[in-house]
Amino acid sequence: MTITMTSDTSPSEQVILATGGYDHTIKLWQAHTGICQRTAQHTESQVNALDITPDKQHIAAAGYTRIRMYDLASNNPSPVVNYEGLSKNVTSVGFQEEGKWMYTGGEDLSARIWDLRSRTLQCQRIFQVSAPVNCVCLHPNQSELVVGDQSGVIHLWDLKTDHNEQLIPEADASIQSIAMDPLGNLMAAVNNKGRCFIWSLSGGGSQEPTKLNPCHKIEAHPKFALKCAFSPDSSLLVTTSADQSARVWRTSDFTLQTELKQEGQRWVWDAAFSADSQYIVTASSDGIARLWNIEKGTVEREYSGHSKAITSLAFRDQIVNP
Amino acid sequence: MAFYDNKHWLLSHIRNSFVSSDDTGMCEMVMQGENLSRKLVSSTKYDCYPGEDDSDEDDMDAMGQSFDIQSDLDFGAHRARSNTAARLEKMDRERKRAAKTKHIKWETAPVTLSRNELAEVFQGKDLKQVSSRDAKSQGGKSLLAQQLEQCPDLPQNPFQTYAKCDGSAHVGVKVRRYGIFLPILAPPDCNYPMTVIILSAAKVEDLIGLTLYKCSIHHPQYKIKGGVENYGMHIAEDDGEIDWDFPSLDPRETVGKFGFKFLAMVEGNNTWPSRSQDVTKDDVDSCPGHDPSGTRSKAQLQAAEMRMKGHMTAMEAPLYQSYQVFVLHPLRAKTEVHLGISGEKVEIDPITQQKVSAKFWVRQRAVSYDTDCIVACDLLETKSNSRTVFRLVYYRSPSPSPEQSSATPHSQSFKHHDFEAPEQVARAVVQQMNHILELRTSSHRREYLAMRERKSHRRKSFHLGPR
Repeated sequence: MTITMTSDTSPSEQVILATGGYDHTIKLWQAHTGICQRTAQHTESQVNALDITPDKQHIAAAGYTRIRMYDLASNNPSPVVNYEGLSKNVTSVGFQEEGKWMYTGGEDLSARIWDLRSRTLQCQRIFQVSAPVNCVCLHPNQSELVVGDQSGVIHLWDLKTDHNEQLIPEADASIQSIAMDPLGNLMAAVNNKGRCFIWSLSGGGSQEPTKLNPCHKIEAHPKFALKCAFSPDSSLLVTTSADQSARVWRTSDFTLQTELKQEGQRWVWDAAFSADSQYIVTASSDGIARLWNIEKGTVEREYSGHSKAITSLAFRDQIVNP
Repeated sequence: MAFYDNKHWLLSHIRNSFVSSDDTGMCEMVMQGENLSRKLVSSTKYDCYPGEDDSDEDDMDAMGQSFDIQSDLDFGAHRARSNTAARLEKMDRERKRAAKTKHIKWETAPVTLSRNELAEVFQGKDLKQVSSRDAKSQGGKSLLAQQLEQCPDLPQNPFQTYAKCDGSAHVGVKVRRYGIFLPILAPPDCNYPMTVIILSAAKVEDLIGLTLYKCSIHHPQYKIKGGVENYGMHIAEDDGEIDWDFPSLDPRETVGKFGFKFLAMVEGNNTWPSRSQDVTKDDVDSCPGHDPSGTRSKAQLQAAEMRMKGHMTAMEAPLYQSYQVFVLHPLRAKTEVHLGISGEKVEIDPITQQKVSAKFWVRQRAVSYDTDCIVACDLLETKSNSRTVFRLVYYRSPSPSPEQSSATPHSQSFKHHDFEAPEQVARAVVQQMNHILELRTSSHRREYLAMRERKSHRRKSFHLGPR
């Protein structure tokens, strides 16, 4: 077994942690030491969302009117690809697991699918809604997109059939983030009133579309919730909020497991789990990202270097064979 | 638009749109005012954009809070020409940079896929297989956990906070680039400068901190001694030779002021002012980008304090003040007197316990002058024993002295008293007196000043005369 710690190994064998925010930069960190390895320029716009391509070669940053793709293998501080032709902020970005296409959502009232293969636009799709899109989540079955908008509507868009369904968990509350667990059994959505709604999913096979069965509702935070995410082992759910905390919930009974809070950390914008579901990285307005030990509720590492608020992060860890 | 009355909307608007085009940091300040939003929120109980429904004629809010972002160079109707040049240059740079980037514009699919094609392209994945496979890998250790185990209890880098001053990846923000020689390192590392790029708004102290931070990463073998206060930045030549003729840079100065290309960081620092701990802490807290307006150096505060003190003495000048001074008599004798000054008059009172019998010929009588009769008060000389002589010039109406027949006042109408006092007292008296004189405009004073002017002219013309 070899441990990859030097920077000249390919990024696919490394833990990747990237953060971006209002200082117009994207920083890549050595997760276990807290050292900033690289800083990329994200000119003229804050970073709304980050995601790493499935092959771990690139990182995509959603900003104002464009999505920029940076090379993770080189030290090039400028983007290598610039996806443009959009209006307003792009609020979310993600990838199909084989890297065939990329999905985005934005304030131009639409969710889009971008074909990433050269010279073909076969996958290019657009899904229009009636309010700015805050978040887009891809079902682990890779064929359904869930789109949350500012008017509080959750849209289920079946890519195979173009069939779509709407539901409104709470009237007049903007949906801020949607997440599904890796096995496709649970879906969570948080809104600007700090509530978290949980559905259990049925169907979703190759033939029938996914059905949502309301399952639970948590008063997760006293104010504005910003992000939710399931752990890779589906046992935990994290919600982050403007109340300056991230909270970790057990998916077995939706009770609070830990509150991750640090004096002065301000809004917690984003969070992601490690591959073994033991750690969480959070990004917050104080310009510092933190690595938390979930069991102990303690800060293990701090990633400090951004001069302004961090609003998004991307984290890719992996299970090593024991 | 009634729209702009909505505080929530404005806050959200600033958060979402302006922050990205704002280099002044104002938006950041609004961002930091999260308490404000909390206050607002609490009044309407978590409703994020109340009032949005009221303005249903605005179709704009359907498009979200963020408006189109203005490039920062577009602001303002009157731009200096140099800005145009700067902008062109910026565009040129952008173009060069952009040439290396592949641009992909959004296009809609040329053909709409049939149902079958759709199903094929967006084929679903069977999650049941995944779940069985995943179950096997459960319980494994993550790479992160493994790496964390290998360096447990990693000490927090004390200079981490300075990392935020690093300007290496900032675009459109003023930065300074220095080659910093580190004579503190062992050869050969000490022979080459380390490039440090820092935000122009940062302080020299931040530069030292950032250099130490980079040093701790690139040269972990060097043991940093204490904090930033143990190091100083010196001006250096491009070969690393330190210019010892100059003191090290003042840690409280902003780096934007220094145009040097090369500096050297040495141990020991002669310009760190002896200051208390709390001041040091303040400076550290006020890292650039946080609150530039809030950081005021101690010296600035002192200057402001002094100015304020000046205002106060001017305001308090007409209030009665008494000073203990000596009156100088022509015969080198002096009498201790109380000199009382108020907005109305000036009184000279001999201190009573003086022996009346002795020196009766120089006895100072108690006199008082109306302030309107006082025309000037100036320091004359400072003696070696730190006693200062000052002169009070007053106007004596010619009538009591019969020999003064001239109707127009001339120099004879102006008499003076000379006083001697410790320097501080003398200065205080002169300052108070002049404050009072400035507030009033007596005809006598005008005459006296005019006369003095004439005299000085005459003297000048005399000097300039044929010689």
